[in-house]
Formats: sequence, C-alpha cells, structure tokens
Amino acid sequence: MHRSTTRQQYGDEAMTDTPTNVDSPDLDSCVRIGSIVSSNSHLDYVAEVYKERDCDRPPELHEREFGQPVFIKKTVDGTEHAVMGVIYDTQLVDPDQGRTGPRLAQDDQAQFTPGYIEERTTLAGVALLGTAEIAEDGGIQEPTHQMPRWTLEVEDTVFQCPDQVTVSFHTVDDQIQLAYMDRLLDIAGDLGSEVIVALIGRLRGMLPDNDPNQRVLDVVEQNVQWQAREQRGMV
Amino acid sequence: MADRSDVVGTVAGPGDDPNEFVFVTPSDKSIKTGEFITYTVPVEDEPRSVFARVTNRELIRGLPEGFLADPEVGPETVAATLGVPTDDTELYRLTATVIGYYDTNMTTFANPRQLPDPGTPLSIAPHQQLETVLPNLGCETDSTDVTTLDGVAHIGWLLNRPAEATNLHIPIEEFASTHLAILASTGSGKSYTASVLIEEMMRPTSRASLLVFDPHGEYDTLAEMQGEEAFQGEDGYEPSIEYYDPERLRVRISELEIGDVMAILDNPSNRMQERLSTAWRAMQRQESRTWGIDELIAEMERIYGDDDASVGALEWRLRRSIERNDLFHPEENVPLDEIVDPGQCTVLQMDTLDRRDQQLITTVLLRRMYRERLGDVRDRDSDIEHPIFALFEEGHRFAPASGEAPSLGIMRTITSEGRKFGFGLGIISQRPSKIDQDVLSQCGTQISMQIKNPSDQDAIKNSVEAAGEDVLRELPGLTPGQAVVSGDAMNTPALIQVRQRRTSHGAGSRPVIEEWREAYDERQREPTQSESADFGEGDSTGVQSLD
Ligand SMILES: Nc1ncnc2c1ncn2[C@@H]1O[C@H](COP(=O)(O)OP(=O)(O)O)[C@@H](O)[C@H]1O
Ligand SMILES: [Mg+2]
Repeated sequence: MHRSTTRQQYGDEAMTDTPTNVDSPDLDSCVRIGSIVSSNSHLDYVAEVYKERDCDRPPELHEREFGQPVFIKKTVDGTEHAVMGVIYDTQLVDPDQGRTGPRLAQDDQAQFTPGYIEERTTLAGVALLGTAEIAEDGGIQEPTHQMPRWTLEVEDTVFQCPDQVTVSFHTVDDQIQLAYMDRLLDIAGDLGSEVIVALIGRLRGMLPDNDPNQRVLDVVEQNVQWQAREQRGMV
Repeated sequence: MADRSDVVGTVAGPGDDPNEFVFVTPSDKSIKTGEFITYTVPVEDEPRSVFARVTNRELIRGLPEGFLADPEVGPETVAATLGVPTDDTELYRLTATVIGYYDTNMTTFANPRQLPDPGTPLSIAPHQQLETVLPNLGCETDSTDVTTLDGVAHIGWLLNRPAEATNLHIPIEEFASTHLAILASTGSGKSYTASVLIEEMMRPTSRASLLVFDPHGEYDTLAEMQGEEAFQGEDGYEPSIEYYDPERLRVRISELEIGDVMAILDNPSNRMQERLSTAWRAMQRQESRTWGIDELIAEMERIYGDDDASVGALEWRLRRSIERNDLFHPEENVPLDEIVDPGQCTVLQMDTLDRRDQQLITTVLLRRMYRERLGDVRDRDSDIEHPIFALFEEGHRFAPASGEAPSLGIMRTITSEGRKFGFGLGIISQRPSKIDQDVLSQCGTQISMQIKNPSDQDAIKNSVEAAGEDVLRELPGLTPGQAVVSGDAMNTPALIQVRQRRTSHGAGSRPVIEEWREAYDERQREPTQSESADFGEGDSTGVQSLD
C-alpha cells in the first residue's frame, strides 16, 4: 500500500470524528505519532515518527517523548480494540551519515519503497503492554495487562494515548495496575526501569493527590529503582 | 501409598542433624512449628506410620521485602498492582525431626533409623493416632479411643490444632508415682494446671488420695467438685475435699528431729547444740511419744545439772520458739488417717503460717507419711494403706537449692525412693533455678509453661532431659495456659493448651488499686487510728511473688 494514501485516509477520519465530550476522549481524534515499520519481537515494535510531510498534524516533541503511552487500533472479530504500548526508546536515523540506516536504492523511487528509510527520521521503540476494548463512547473498557496475542502490521498508526485512557488502562477495580511490568523490563532492557519510572510519573500526575494509589505507586517505583541500581551494581 | 489429598508437603532431603529432614510446603498448607506430621515407611516389610515434629519453618519464596516499604500500603496491594498472584506464590521450607514409629510391642516410639526419601509425601498426623501415641498410655495399637481408658487425665489439647481437636490424656499413674514438676513464671497457669490435674485425679475413674500444701490459699475453690455431677460415680462415689486451716495443723513435738529443732532455734552456740542433741536423743529413746518442753528441760537438767548456763539459755529459746508457737504441741498431731484417704483431696491451708512453720509442718507430715508408706509396702501395720500424691506450691521453699530448709532431706528421700512406696510428689515453682537439683531431676514428668528468666530456663534444660531443645525454645513465648508436657507420662514432649477448669479458679491477682483506695477510705473514716493496711505476712499472692 502506498504510504501517502494511507496518510490521506487517516487524515480524513481525523477531520470527521471530533471529540463529543471531554470526559471520554475519542480515540479517533488522538494525535498520530507515527507508523509501524518493523518489529524486533512479538511485543517490541519500531515506529517511524511522522514528520511535517507525513500528516496534517505531526506530533510535537513532547507528544512522543520517552515514556509516552500509545495505542494502536485493531479490529478483532468485529470488535475494535486498542493495543496499548509505550515509547521506550528512540533512535535517529540519517541514511547519509555513516550509512547506519536502511539505504535507499534510488532517490526518485523513495516514495514507492516504504520498507526503506530514505531520509532523516526518528524511530521510536514501542513496547506493547496490553489491550482494551474500544467502547461506544470512544473510551476504553475491559483493560487487560495480559500479553497481547495479536500482531501489529507495518503501517499501523501509533496514536498518542490520552491521559484519561492511560488511567483507565491502568485501573482495575479502583486498584492501580502495572501488571506488564516484568515484560516491559525485559523488552526495554537497560532503559526498563527508566520507562517504568516515567510511566509512574505520568500516572501520579494524572491521579488526584489524595488517591490511595499514589502511595502504591511510590512503593512500586522504589522497588523498580532499587532493582535497577542493584543490577547496575550500585548497591 | 498415601492418599495425596491429605498430603501437606514433600520431603526435599536430609537436614543437618541425623534425625532431621527438610520438606517443602505451599503456603495454603499452613503448618506451624511443633506440628506432628507422618509418612509411611516399610519396617520389616510392614508399612509403618513414622511421626516427626516440625521444628523450623522458613519462607523460601515469597513477595520481595521491597513490597513492604510503606506500612500503609499492604504488600498484597503492591503485588496486585504488579499482577503478581499472592495466593500461591509462597513456598516454605520446613525442618522436621523424626520421632519414630509407634512400636506396639514396646508401646513407645522406635526410631526407623532411616530418613524419608526425597519426594516422600507427608501428611498431618491424624488426631486419634496422636492421642494414642503421644502420651505414655501403653496402648497396643497406634489408634485407640483413649477417652475410654481409666486412670488418664485429660489435661488439654495440642496447641497447634484447633481447640479440643487433638486431646492429650496423660496417664495419672506415671506422673503420680514418678513425681511431677510444674514450672513457670508467676501468672502462667501453674496453679490452674495443677487444679486441672486434681480435678482429673478426683474423678470416679481414679479416686486419688491427694494432699495439697497450699501456702497461698489458692485451692479453696476445689470444694466445688463436691455435688458436681461430673465428679460423681455410678456407685455413689463423690470426691471429698477437706481443708485444714492452721487451727487444725499441729506438730507433735516428739516428731521433730534434732535438725528440725536446730533450724527453729535462734542461733544456738556449739555448746547449746551439743547439749540439746544429747537430751533430744534421750527423749526420743523414751517410750512416751507425748513429751513437751518441760520434760525436755528436765532431761537436760538431769544430765547437765540445774544451774548449767547453756541449759538456761536453751530453755529460754525453746520456750519462745516451740512452746509459745501453737503449731507445736506435746500430744496433738495431725491424724494421718484423717488427711489421707482414697477419693479425698486434703488442702493444707498454710497461708497464715510463716515460712519456717510451713517448712516444719511439711517436714514432719512428709516424714510421717513416708514412714507409713514404707510400713505398708513392708507389710507392717500402717495408717496409710494406699498410694498418695502430695502437691507443693512454692516447691523451692520446701526443697531449696540453697539447702536451707528442714524439709529438703525428706523431699530428696521421697523423690528418689518414693516411687517404690507409692508416694508421689508434685513440685510447683516459679523459680526452678532455686529448687534443689536432686529433687527437680527426680521429677519424672514435667509441665513447663512460660518462663523468661534465663537461669530458670537453664534449670529446666538441665533437669528436663526428655524435652528437646526445640520444645524448650518455645517456653519464653508461651501465654498463660500453654504448656510443654514432657517426661515419663509422655512418649514424646508436646506443646499443649491446658483445658479449662470445671471448678472456678481461686488464684487471681489482687485488685491492687481497688485495695489501695479502699484502705485509704478506711483511714479517712477512722482518722484517729494509725494502723497501716495489712497485706498479710508471708502471703505473696499479690502482684508478683518476689522469691
Ligand atoms: N488453662 C487455662 N485456661 C484459661 N485460663 C488460664 C489457664 N491457665 C491459666 N489461666 C489464666 O491465667 C491466670 C494465672 O494462672 P495461675 O494458675 O494462677 O498462675 P500461676 O499459678 O502460674 O501464678 C489465671 O487466673 C487464669 O485466668
Ligand atoms: Mg499460683
């Protein structure tokens, strides 16, 4: 499929579906961060971050930063799902510099070979965390932190996940959940504890100050930090 | 092969000690230390249930301690947040010591001399089996309904099991003939436990002949047994509880031995001691058993002349210490046939006597009773023709390690020889380290309750060889009513909860504040009098006994 066509489609959608109420954000109106270009494993994907040329409203720097929760939409068996993920790593690619990135054969063929990165670009590592169903009102329901069974596809769009959805995804029976933590630590490797700390920081900011889950997050953060220090041989 | 449904753990391998093995259990099979478990081994081709005691329990897999960082956030909440299941994560590693299988011929435990193989399934030992094999009941099978046996005392149930689930019935004959020690700090339940045993011994199935030396007046409520249906026999038996207050306690002077007299006298000189000994022996050789101080002094004057200074000094001392003390009498004596009888429990209320008098009446009574028991066994005429059991509160007073009690000698004799003559002693004490070691180590059955003082713990360790280290480790942590029973009455020591009394308990602490306030009010009402509140000399049932 032609990349620009895809872009065009999504752009149309974005224009027709505008959020109806502020309480339940519409997943269709979310900022697009980029599209999937490859994967390292079932839970570990690489997305190419959209630039000015790729869509109407490319993500701003703070919308695709390290630790940003994201989602990818998937329709499975007639039901729309959000596959939840997080940006756990980024990488700059400059095909002309040091020839590190995938190289393009011919300049003028660039737009017909989407598998290759033909220009300076930013890649984001996306680790999958779990899934949820997309509800009628545009929010999510039935969040689960079990390992997602479905695979993403190349060109799937990665959306920035709104705070409210991030909180819903992390809340089961009023209890904060980060049950994907060990998987995420495994995927994110050296940056594992950092990405979890970043996620926790976000969740903290989203929850009311007097929420009892704040203290739970503190304990979890302490544990992760301590483990990381232990692994790095600091303590 | 064991039915796996009641399997609680699996043997992992041998432990540090030759009799020890290690096993692993998941957390839902909560097994406490002290629990009895079994496994099956073939002994001479026959499957035998081997019993083992759990001695240690440690977590080998569980939630990280980091989850405990915030006291207000439960570790299970942190675990839930991280999606860590909390119900079956924990694994415990337990250590158990093999007790043995029950040898029905020897009616005690025999060591299989072989540890269970790794992988051997372990079960909780069934109630009835433990009730049969833990106490020394001499059962011929390893599973008997012990409630139907005669001569057993239902003292309580295994502490690790639910109330009244695994009951402990100990053989009365064992502890009553080879002596009993009840050792614990004040307030741990010694008198309570002793009363439970008295209740059991007075039941129609045993009809014991008991004597309680009660220096604190703690046994007044035993009389409630009379008229109580639980204690009545089909043949019309009912226990009789007799109280002897100091009014009825008499020591005939001729029953005293020269050593006893020396102990009462105030610092007699060597010359006085020598004169008194000579005269005392002369009096004891006489036909008459009913002589008094007058006759004794007459005898001294006959030997040494009536103007001998030492005799004069002795006369003054004897009249003061013996003649003017109502306890001593030229003729009267506590009649043995009245104080001991089968089906009778006699309580000697000594709470108003001073310590010396308590010791003397005890000394003389024990000596007389021992003589009668000796006579009975040797087919001589005897006032006591049945075995007797005497219980002592404040046992260290009557058999002190310091040796300073006239009663020590006869206590030693009875504890070492008494079993041959049907004379058993029960020693109750809150200071085991202050009891004469010979006496303590002769007490074949021990009931040890909470005890914190290290020297007292050592005294128990040294004298109570039957109770293993692992059981004695429990002593400081016990609460009132919990006890370790060990020794002759048991095939292996057990940690128990002593049952509730049927009679009420008469030995509470005194309501100190109430008494202060009452005493104060009393004074306000009688402003002219300057009498101080009298808490009673020699009565240490107050807040805490200091000896
Ligand atoms: N087996 C028991 N069941 C219930 N309460 C008990 C038991 N043993 C002891 N107690 C409680 O502990 C208190 C102290 O017991 P007591 O026998 O008077 O202590 P001690 O003689 O060791 O100083 C009792 O008043 C009673 O309330
Ligand atoms: Mg007491």
